[in-house]
Amino acid sequence: MKSTFRQSMKWLHTWVGLVVVWILFFMFITGTAGYFYKEITRWMEPERPLISPEVSKKQMLHLSQAYLTEHASEAERWRIQLPNSRDGNLRVRWTQAAKEGKRRGKRTHKILNPTTGQEVAELRATGGGFSLYRMHYRLHYMPRLVAYWIVGFCTMLMLIAVITGVIFHKKIFSDFFTFRAKKGLIGWLDIHNVLSVVALPFHFMITYSGLIFFLTTYMVLGFNLSLTDSQQDEFHKQVFPDTLAVEQAEIAQTLAPLTDMYLQTRKYWLEDTLDNVTIKYPNDVNASVNFERLETDITYNHSDEIFFNSNGKLMTVPAREFTPSGRIEDGFISLHEGQFANSVVRWLYLLVGLIGAAMVASGGILWTTKRKPKQDKKPNGADFGYRLVEQLNIGSFVGLPIAIGVYFCANRLLPVGLENRADWEINCLFISWALLLVYPAFRPAISAWLEQLKLAAVIFTFIPVLNFLTTDKHLAITLPIGDWNYAGFDLAMIAIGMSFSFAAYKVKQRIVSQVGNKSITSAVSKASTAKLAQNKGAM
Amino acid sequence: MGVLLSLSFITMSCFCLAMEKHRKQIIMVELNACLSCFFRPLAWVLLISTFYMSSQLYGWTIGPVVFFGMLIGSLVPLILLLTYRAKAIPLVAILLPIVVYIS
Repeated sequence: MKSTFRQSMKWLHTWVGLVVVWILFFMFITGTAGYFYKEITRWMEPERPLISPEVSKKQMLHLSQAYLTEHASEAERWRIQLPNSRDGNLRVRWTQAAKEGKRRGKRTHKILNPTTGQEVAELRATGGGFSLYRMHYRLHYMPRLVAYWIVGFCTMLMLIAVITGVIFHKKIFSDFFTFRAKKGLIGWLDIHNVLSVVALPFHFMITYSGLIFFLTTYMVLGFNLSLTDSQQDEFHKQVFPDTLAVEQAEIAQTLAPLTDMYLQTRKYWLEDTLDNVTIKYPNDVNASVNFERLETDITYNHSDEIFFNSNGKLMTVPAREFTPSGRIEDGFISLHEGQFANSVVRWLYLLVGLIGAAMVASGGILWTTKRKPKQDKKPNGADFGYRLVEQLNIGSFVGLPIAIGVYFCANRLLPVGLENRADWEINCLFISWALLLVYPAFRPAISAWLEQLKLAAVIFTFIPVLNFLTTDKHLAITLPIGDWNYAGFDLAMIAIGMSFSFAAYKVKQRIVSQVGNKSITSAVSKASTAKLAQNKGAM
Repeated sequence: MGVLLSLSFITMSCFCLAMEKHRKQIIMVELNACLSCFFRPLAWVLLISTFYMSSQLYGWTIGPVVFFGMLIGSLVPLILLLTYRAKAIPLVAILLPIVVYIS
């Protein structure tokens, strides 16, 4: 126990943070990418058409209904997703009735050409942006429940780190803007503090809401073990109330034209913000058609949905009845996912997500920077724990972004007909990350930082070039057309590549300032020899 | 959006100028005590105005989210400017709303 409460909090903050820093970094990076998962998926499916000239929603609904009537007349559910700022494609989905012994029926998903109403060419199998998004809470290569518990444990420790950090930070307001760059340890401390404090509301929200996501999983004693199955169902109905329970009458009836219903929604909403249409039992007399516009609120807003029956008549449907706690839960989850966010707010989410990742990374680097002078003086070299942390820092903070870059490259380079192609894309990510985690063990830390930063710069700058070489949807095409959704990905890769180049340049400058330009090679080779000797000694 | 971003930047610049150590970084000339005291209340008034404007533009649920996002979005460049180009902050604070107005 430390002498003062504040000192105890500092100790707790340091060690709680260190235990989970690399997993948290992984969660922050993949979760932040998840805010743009639709855009990433679109880039990873280059067979999809570029955003076509303005086609009216009325025409797209007409074409979609005709397509679904022809190809999915037996389905029990249709869904039409109209193009929006995030996903410029017209999508149709349908679900068949579940077969005996199965929970869900077969789901099919097609992208239609909005001008002709015909489906576009077969898409390549890819994990897309959704796999990255999914990884941030579901991890990979492990059972679902194990992943949820690991993620929950790390999130809980992050929440403790956030709270203890606020408690022991002495000058939270007076040092609010302070960043003393070029001052070594103080600079790292400042950058960690600044990144933590400027986005503190976000850090708290994202951590707390992350825990709420799987609250029934984590509250085993109070939920799973205390309540019967029927009580659990009742709980779910209260917390996640459904809109309208429709029973199939099994009397066939042709669905009225969706275009007529659409015109009614425009009168009701007074604006043309329709986003998607869901039809339950499309060829039944009891069909229900749900028109949904883009979200206008963080929590559930009843006026965002309009219902019609099979004849195209407006139905009065009571609002979902949320309990106060259910409403709060809904609000926190919506805040976490940012589903209500328009393009600009989504970019803000990306920015604060990256701030979160940088905060976590700076904490890890701060830990080693603080201990480096003492460790350097040790006659037998640095301790194993220190070397391990340093290695994991390099392998995670630079290695993980490189691995994600490899994932994007694999999307373009793996043969389109490869079996389990989507799985192999993800395997490429984890294999490359594993190699990059091991690599720093055989190199002096400063060289490993420099080399991995250079590699990251090359890979991310290479991605748009690779896209140019392997597809017909590259910057020379997407920019003149004005398909910013697609071009934005390539431009973002260039920006990330340039950021890594800048970081590599700064690290190289630091090496030069320490050992002098001429002796840089000899210094690195000496350090490599020393590292190898150290590794041999450790063995 | 642009209006909110520029308001957030000006607000945070005023908070920054209200602190003596940062004021010395940004403004070379010594300001009289009365003028120095003016920055903090001005910053608070601007902060409340930004919050109100954000809530009016995006509603009382999404508005606060946009407000916090804009504050964070303006703080990052402000802190970087303060570290590397502190004297450019007043110029940016003046030019930003003009650029937003023109665009």
